[in-house]
Formats: sequence, C-alpha cells, structure tokens
Amino acid sequence: MITQMKHFGEACRFPKLAIQIYSLLYLTFLVSVLLCACDSESPVAVESMPIFSTSALSGGETTVFDASSHAFSTPAPNLSAAALEKHLEGDVEFEAVFVTAPAVVNPGLGPIYNNVSCINCHSRDGRGRPPGSEDELVSLLFRLSLPKTADSIDRQPPIPVPGFGRQLNNRAIVGTPPEGTVKIDYTEQTLVTADGTRVHLRSPAYSITETYQPLPEAVEVSPRVAPAIFGLGLLEAIPEKAILAYADEADVDRDGISGKPNFVWDVVAQRYTLGRFGWKANQPTLLQQAASAYHDDMGVTTSLFLIENSAGQPQLTENKATPEVSDEILEAVTFYVQTLAVPARRNVDTPQVKQGEQLFAQAQCASCHVPTLRTGVLSGVPSVSNQTIHPYTDLLLHDMGPGLADNRPDFHASGSEWRTPPLWGIGLIRTVNGHTNFLHDGRARNLMEAILWHGGEAEASRQAVEQMSKAERDALIAFLESL
Amino acid sequence: MKFYRLETCKLKACFHFLMLHCCLLLAFAFVVGCGSDDEADEQDDRAQGEAFEAGTMLNDFSNTVVLATYTALDNKAGELLAAVKALEASTTQANLEKAQQAWKETRKPWEQSEAFLFGPVDTQGLDPALDSWPVDHVNLQSVLDSNDALTVDFVSGLEDTQKGFHTIEFLLFREGNQRKASDITTRELAYLVSTTENLKASTSQLRLAWAPEGDNFSSAVAQAGAGSAVYPSQSAAVQEMVNGMITIADEVANGKISDPYNESDTTLVESQFSFNSISDFQDNLRGIQNVYMGKFMNDGQGLNEFVNSKDSELDSRFQAEVQAAIDTIGAIPDPFRDSITANRGAVQAAIDAVSKVQRTLEQDILPLVQASEFN
Repeated sequence: MITQMKHFGEACRFPKLAIQIYSLLYLTFLVSVLLCACDSESPVAVESMPIFSTSALSGGETTVFDASSHAFSTPAPNLSAAALEKHLEGDVEFEAVFVTAPAVVNPGLGPIYNNVSCINCHSRDGRGRPPGSEDELVSLLFRLSLPKTADSIDRQPPIPVPGFGRQLNNRAIVGTPPEGTVKIDYTEQTLVTADGTRVHLRSPAYSITETYQPLPEAVEVSPRVAPAIFGLGLLEAIPEKAILAYADEADVDRDGISGKPNFVWDVVAQRYTLGRFGWKANQPTLLQQAASAYHDDMGVTTSLFLIENSAGQPQLTENKATPEVSDEILEAVTFYVQTLAVPARRNVDTPQVKQGEQLFAQAQCASCHVPTLRTGVLSGVPSVSNQTIHPYTDLLLHDMGPGLADNRPDFHASGSEWRTPPLWGIGLIRTVNGHTNFLHDGRARNLMEAILWHGGEAEASRQAVEQMSKAERDALIAFLESL
Repeated sequence: MKFYRLETCKLKACFHFLMLHCCLLLAFAFVVGCGSDDEADEQDDRAQGEAFEAGTMLNDFSNTVVLATYTALDNKAGELLAAVKALEASTTQANLEKAQQAWKETRKPWEQSEAFLFGPVDTQGLDPALDSWPVDHVNLQSVLDSNDALTVDFVSGLEDTQKGFHTIEFLLFREGNQRKASDITTRELAYLVSTTENLKASTSQLRLAWAPEGDNFSSAVAQAGAGSAVYPSQSAAVQEMVNGMITIADEVANGKISDPYNESDTTLVESQFSFNSISDFQDNLRGIQNVYMGKFMNDGQGLNEFVNSKDSELDSRFQAEVQAAIDTIGAIPDPFRDSITANRGAVQAAIDAVSKVQRTLEQDILPLVQASEFN
C-alpha cells in the first residue's frame, strides 16, 4: 500500500470564480457587521450569520480545489512548513498497519479487533459502507451495552456487556476466538411521494452470530459506519457557546426542533464536557476520539487507554504496562485529522443548485444542518482557527424518530437521538469512496433515501420533501451534490 | 520539497492579502452590476485556447494504460500460480527459481499500476489485499504450525497481512536469493499455493472491475462529464490522473526510498525479502511514464500531448526528468537494503531525481490542468 497524497498544487490556483466568491464573502461580512452593530444584545456573533452559504470555500482557508478521489485526503493549504511536517507524520501513522506482537514493525494488534489500521475503515479519509451480502465487515462496527437498570444513573456511559465490553470485535489474531460476527438482513419497503414517485427504502435487521460465549438476550446493539474524517479540526475549533446557542432542548421556540448537547466523559480533563464527535456526539475531543479508535477498534493501547479492550476476557494474554502507541504518534495522528482540508463546492452558481439551496432552507433542513459557523481558536492548530466554514451541522443531538433509532442511549443521547452529521463533501463520496451509502448504518443507498429516512424532529422536513415535485427534488439533490 | 512548501504558503498569504484589497473594488462592481469588458475578453480567449480533446485522452488512459496494465498483471499472476503449483508438485531448486522469477514478473505491472491507485483497487479493498505491509509473521507462523487445512477458502479468510505479494515473497525468497528448495516445508508449499490462488482471484477482480465485460470502471473515467456519475466533470478525471502520478512520485521519493534511508533501517525497505526494491521503484516511475505518455503495450493519446499544446518546453523537460529518475534509481547498487548505508550518495541522487518529477507535476503540470476548462 502507498500513502495518501501530500501535494499542494491546489493552493496555486486562484480562478476568477474564487475572486467573485471573495467579493461576495466580503459583502456578506459587511452585512454581518452591520447586523451585529444593530443588535448589540446578541451574545454570539454566529447567530447573525446568513442562512445561505454564498461561498464555495466550505472550509474557509483550509479549502482545497480537488474533485478527484483525493478530495478528502489533502492537507489544509494554509499549514506552516512545520505544521505540514507534523501532518505528514500523522498521515503515515494513520495508514500504519498493525500486526501481532512481537514484531519489528507496528506490533500490538488485538488480540481482538475490528480492523488493522485507521485507513482501512476510513478509506481515503472518507466514508465507510455496510458490507454486501458476500463481504465481511470492514468499515461498519457494532456498539454493545446492557440496558440501564432501575438503579443505574441516567446520562452515564453505556453499561458494558460482560465478556464483550462495549463493542463487538469480530476479528482476532490467529489462535484467539473473535467475539462473534453479525448477519445483516434488509427488508424493503416502498414510500410513495405526493407526485406518485415510488422510492424504495431498506430497513436493516442485525443478528449477532458465532459468539465465543453466549450474549445476553437483552443486549443493546448500535451499528456505526466509519465517517469521513476531513474538516474535523474546524469542528473542534467551534466555540462551545456557539454550539450551545443553537440548543433548544425543551423546544422553547416551538419550531418542533430541539437540539440537545451531549455531555460526555473527557478522560484527559477528568470531567464531563461537550461531546462533538461520533454518531452520537459521544467523544469530546479528537485526541480522545483517536485514542478510543486505537483501543476499541484495533486493540492498541495508548496513554489515555492503557487497559486492553479485551481486559477481563479469555482472549487477553498480556497487558503491557507501556502504551503500544506512543503519545508522539497519538498526537501526530490527532493533528493529521485536525488539519485535513475541506474540498470546495462545485457548480455553486448553477440555477438548479441555487434552487435546491433555497428548497433546503424552506424545508427547514438548515435548522439542524446549519450552513455557516465561525471557528474560534483551537490551541496549537492556527490553520483551523478563526475560519468561516460551511459544515451543515449544529453538532447537536436530535430525535430522528423510531425508524432510525438504535435504542441504545449514550450519555445524554437517547435511543432515538443522533448528532447532526456534517454535509460538506457529501457530493464527493461517490468519487472518493465509490458508493453513495448514507446514515449511521449505511442503509440509505442514495441521498434521497437518506432524506426520506428522516423522522422525529425532522418529520415536517421530510414531509416537505415528499410534497416536492420531481424537478424540486432533483434540485435539492443537485444542491447536496454540490457540497 | 520543503522549499516548495514554504513557497506555496507565501503565495497563499499574498493571495489573501491581495484579495482583501480587491474585494472592496469588486464588491462595488457587483453592487452597481456592471461587468468588466476585459474580463469578458479574457473568457473568450480562454475558450478559444481549449482545443484539446480530453475525452480521447481519458479513453486512452482508461483502456490503453490502466486496463492493459491490469490485464498484464492478471496474466502474470496466472503464470505465478502455475509456477508455485509446479514447485509444489516438484520442489526442485530450478522450480523455486522459476517461481521467484514469476513473482518478479508479476510485481512489475503491479508497481506500474501504483501510478493510478484510485477506483476499484481502492474502493474494493484490493490494494491491501494484494500489497499489505508488514507481513504478520506471528500469525503466519501460527497458521503454519497449526493443523488447519490450508485450503484456498481458509487462507483467503485470513488477514491481508498474511496474504498477497509480500507473504508470497517471504515464502519464496526469505532472505534475498538464499532460499533453498529443500528448506521449504510441505505446509509452506500448501500455504504458498493457496495464497497465490487468492492473489490471482484479486488480480482477476481488479481487471474485471475496469473491463467492459465486467464493472466497466473504464467508462466512468472515459465518459467523465455528463456521462459519468463518478466524475461529473472531465476536469475532475484529469486531475485524478495527475494526482495519481504525484502520489506515487511522493511515495517513492519521501516514503519508499527516504524512510529506510533516513532511519538507516532495513526493516523499512519494500520488497526486502526478494531484494527487488530497485525494480519496484523504477516500475513506479515507469507507471508515471505510462500515464503521461498514454502508453503501455500500445500508444494512445497521453497527457504529454495536452502539455505540449500548452508548453512544449515543459513537455520535453518532464519527459527527460522521468527518464532521468528511472536511470538514477537504476544506478543504485543492488541490493537497495545495503545501499541505504553503503552508497548514500547514489540513494540521495535518486531521491532528488524523483523529487524533481514530483515538483514538476505539482508546480507546473497540475496548475496547467487546473487552469484548463475541460468539459
């Protein structure tokens, strides 16, 4: 295997379009300043930002102009030379393939795990998909837990399953039993839109089989597809109060949309902090996200998680006292993830895309998929600091209805709440990852299916899309594909 | 490389500085709604300059280069499979050497194909299946020591780190060409045949993924623009071609050669069991040559014709740089693993030559492609 690309030719291209965009941005900025001046009570400047993203520069100064399969794996063009070196070190570690210890290169795999490298799940720094009928699980994993009991405290982490922990590790080193595997069965259903168009949706059912010991009947199972990892430093750099400004847990404004922050355990800070990452916003920082992935997904220990994921299980033979991955490597990988560029939008000015963008706002999609946010300062990562970005997320939890529910609470997230995933780059998944599977378990086979799975707080938005004409739905999709 | 990175950042900073000042003027132009005549003229000039037909080039790239390379790979993998089966049937030194030679012959088209590591080779997980590194020696030995029947199905179900090119290489070569046929155990032979069957299945899958009689990914590239869901514009597909070349040039210069050289660490050397590293690196550069010239067995329309139409001096300079890189790598004394300490000047010269190829691709050819409005 070879490592991902590390070139920066993009930075040299300054097309006329970009100049026009800059001037638009500048106008937007002027208007925002004026609005802010008029509304001196506004505590957070973000609130006065326009709903419409007038810019192709989805990642601010970290944006790259690349619509090829490298769109997600390019370093931010505004990195300093020293920062770029660190990014490239992290790139190598992100692709490092772990093997069974003892070994000269990359020992420490397992003994139980889901995959052998970061890149194997987050292929090309992009998005995973569920396996086909013949394939094994590659970039889809299953979280496990026991149901909360009457005396368990609410809003705590999920309760681990004895003998399995909080995640099913379906692979193991030779001579060691994996925990089990998963069989996926899909049931097709048909939804008919107002204009008579039939859309097929498939609903997955999971059965855990070949377990090395019996699994409790009542176990909670939550499927998680590997998400794309570019632009995450920008999301980490959004000030907490800017995110909380969008929260409306009791729906005080009665728009049917709540928006709830998750508060999760930060193992470094040793306290509960705002969750931002993962399908249920159950990780507070990218450092902890990366360390958890080493630990839970690869069975590789770090200073954050020194106890092997197989602790207390028969698969474990030895728990080394020192981390299998050093702090230096963990930090490099974290920095790599923090500093991947965001691809620029394409076809921003075509009439169809513009119409779709309006429909997106009219259907209230933008209430949760917030188009524009402003980052604050992320310590040690100036390239993502103070950027105006267009991620199309509020990083908050929303009830998505019973159709999508995993029924596995995670800290403050209920069994039917999910964090709004960012939509930037979504139109390039096909080019980068060769598929168009969306949602937390990849059940949606295209963008329209993903939209039509929305329920709960998004019920009215989905109904609005069902009422659209075919031309309007095409425009909505054209807009999403331009992201 | 470092110099270039700094240069880029400076350019970027200048750009933002200029833009900030231009913004006010342009914003004013927007408000009053008047377009500049100069801008319109520039657009016309650009349109007239775009005579190059990218469709032909993309078609030739897909079929004449990519599919042809994968077809060669699949054919060679078939020959390798026949050779290891012959070795199992009659474990003589002559048969071992034939199998070793067949491995090296199969390696050539694979290394050349690393100049276009995108599409099915990536999305279908075939790159790790074929070319995972490092080999998981502990797992491999555990399997060899076990009583498991070493069927194709069983071996195919194992991790990528105990399958593919480098596991086969380890079984056939061990350390350089010192392997004695008499040292190879029966179980190693069985494992060798099964894992080579698995490799052949992967190369067939890869060929079919691009072939018209299979998934026909060729057409997704050739029909870039309105006819392709994967590449909605020809620009994206042409950028993919250039990115592929940049990626492998970067990998050879800054990874494959530099990593073991900088660390003086032979465990980091690619194809270290067979001592085939220098061939590997040269074939990576030949892959760049193939893509650029649109040529594998047959000659098609390459990127060279596009570059030539824009800047003929650049075209001839780049062709010379690629050839120089191939020659400079070839001048490193074999085996590479010894030269990283014994012939550091020759290794450094190779790094410099490949870096030059990378720099020209990044600084001169990619901008040329990005500035062109294909369909």
